[in-house]
Amino acid sequence: MVSIFKKEIRAYFTQMTGYLFLMFMILLTGIYFALYCVYAQSPQYQAVLSGVTIVFFIMIPTLTMRLFAEEVRHKTDQLLYTSPLSVGKIVIGKFLAATALFLFGLLITGLFPLLLSRYGSLPTGQIMGAFFGFFLLGASFIAVGLFISVLTDNQIISAVATFAVLFVFFMMDFIAISMPATTLASLVFLALIILGVAFVMYNSTKNVFAAAAVALVGFLAAGGIYLYNNLIFDGFIIKTLQWFSLYSRYGYFVNGIMNTSDVVYYVTFALVFIYLTVNVIEKRRWR
Amino acid sequence: MVVLIEVRNLSKTYGQHKALDCISFSVAAGEIVGFLGPNGAGKTTTMNIITGYIAATEGEVVINGADIVAEPEAAKSNIGYLPDTPPVYGDMRLDEYLDFVADIKNVKKSERPEMLSRIKESVRIEDMSKRLIKNLSRGYRQRVGLAQAMVGNPKVIIMDEPTIGLDPKQIIEMRDVVKKLGKKHTVILSSHIMQEVSAVCDRVMIINKGKIVASDTLEKLSAGLTSGRRMQARIKGGKEQIISAFKDAPIIKSLTADVSREPGTWDVVLSGDENIDIREAVFKCMAKNNLPILLMKSLDMTLEEIFLQITGGSAEEEK
Repeated sequence: MVSIFKKEIRAYFTQMTGYLFLMFMILLTGIYFALYCVYAQSPQYQAVLSGVTIVFFIMIPTLTMRLFAEEVRHKTDQLLYTSPLSVGKIVIGKFLAATALFLFGLLITGLFPLLLSRYGSLPTGQIMGAFFGFFLLGASFIAVGLFISVLTDNQIISAVATFAVLFVFFMMDFIAISMPATTLASLVFLALIILGVAFVMYNSTKNVFAAAAVALVGFLAAGGIYLYNNLIFDGFIIKTLQWFSLYSRYGYFVNGIMNTSDVVYYVTFALVFIYLTVNVIEKRRWR
Repeated sequence: MVVLIEVRNLSKTYGQHKALDCISFSVAAGEIVGFLGPNGAGKTTTMNIITGYIAATEGEVVINGADIVAEPEAAKSNIGYLPDTPPVYGDMRLDEYLDFVADIKNVKKSERPEMLSRIKESVRIEDMSKRLIKNLSRGYRQRVGLAQAMVGNPKVIIMDEPTIGLDPKQIIEMRDVVKKLGKKHTVILSSHIMQEVSAVCDRVMIINKGKIVASDTLEKLSAGLTSGRRMQARIKGGKEQIISAFKDAPIIKSLTADVSREPGTWDVVLSGDENIDIREAVFKCMAKNNLPILLMKSLDMTLEEIFLQITGGSAEEEK
């Protein structure tokens, strides 16, 4: 794990990606800082970080696009996957390397509020919260980028797909409120989710009965809940999508509220994508 | 004899295409085994499965007692693999790269300098230590790939087409390296070039269309396909004279003399019974009749002929 981590960090700085990422991150934060704090004469540094989250979906792909795509392209994945290292360690090593570079950039931008603090009192709690939330949000997005990188051997496709997915996450709140809130729509949505789970089940186990059983249990449970209390299904789509929205949770951190549930949510989100990445790689070893 | 690699009923299907069809074999410690087969025969697929890079559809691979699927880490620590494309990072310096490989193969820090310098010396890349790998030529990259496979002193070294893309001089050097490796490691290599396999391997496995069609030592493969020993001799003298002279030697079972490559000589193909050396008899017989022998060579089948005969034969069967 440490060896992969070191290798990735070195690769970031022998190829241009590491420098480019840091440059853009500091430059963009600097621009927001100049506009929101210096010109506006405001101590609200957390607004700067909120602004920067909008350009996340451009910055994160540059960090993650090469992680696996490049290995496959140069066939160096054969070295990694035939070495005694476990796949989990390889994936986590790469994730940590990207996250460490992101954290490094974030720490450098920490100089901006320090600079600001010389000229007045800052809302320290809110800024700390914003930094912490910013880091969690970034790490979650890196996990998404890592997962997409393992699906393709082309860095450009990897970057564009990551961009698209992160953009959808960014738009999630807007998408959510435009969804139909009727009970029927909710039931159709739920049915699609259940079918999707059943399909994934079938795809990984190749067992029709297990998949059918999952679907059946899902439908029965949904039907049972509907008969018991059909109010739950009011606006189900909107509630689900909003629950998935990474950005709306970030809002709490900016306001200085640190909920355990939000932290757990981000950590789980990243872990799920790391787990999926490991599985995609392991799948080649499955029958 | 310790069996290091045990492959049982290995099959691999890509959609409708059956790349491997129920292959079984075992490799003992210290052997140099060559996989020989035309392009697309299943050599690379077999190697990728043995090294744990891809999964088989059916069957199992056990390496030094560890199943590659159930205990991948234990099994993989016994293997060094040089795939068809050397898995090198272009933007690393050679030393950095080998150090990284030693790192992921769990080589102790204290053992590294000695091991790496020994490996670099044996594949002759000492002078390249500080060079970026992307600036090395194809031949050097191939050697770096081999060096990578040797790191950690694995029991088994598997090489997929190790001499592809090398110039003739490098090919000969590579063969020497492989022979040297064979003294300390068990080696499996694949090739579609006959001379290579016949130059270095103890045992040859001929793979065609996903099946092992023959597996034996070169001599036995050759002997199994020819009946009796054949040899060719170039003899100075008239055709009639030569034929009548051989009538005195009952050990010669058949002869044909219908080629004349040098003026005044005839090329004669002679054969005797199996396991009987006819050379001496031929010499004495010709000497008695005062017919000088200018050239004499054994006509054992070359690997090339064996290969064509076996793969061609199985292709006909399928039709």
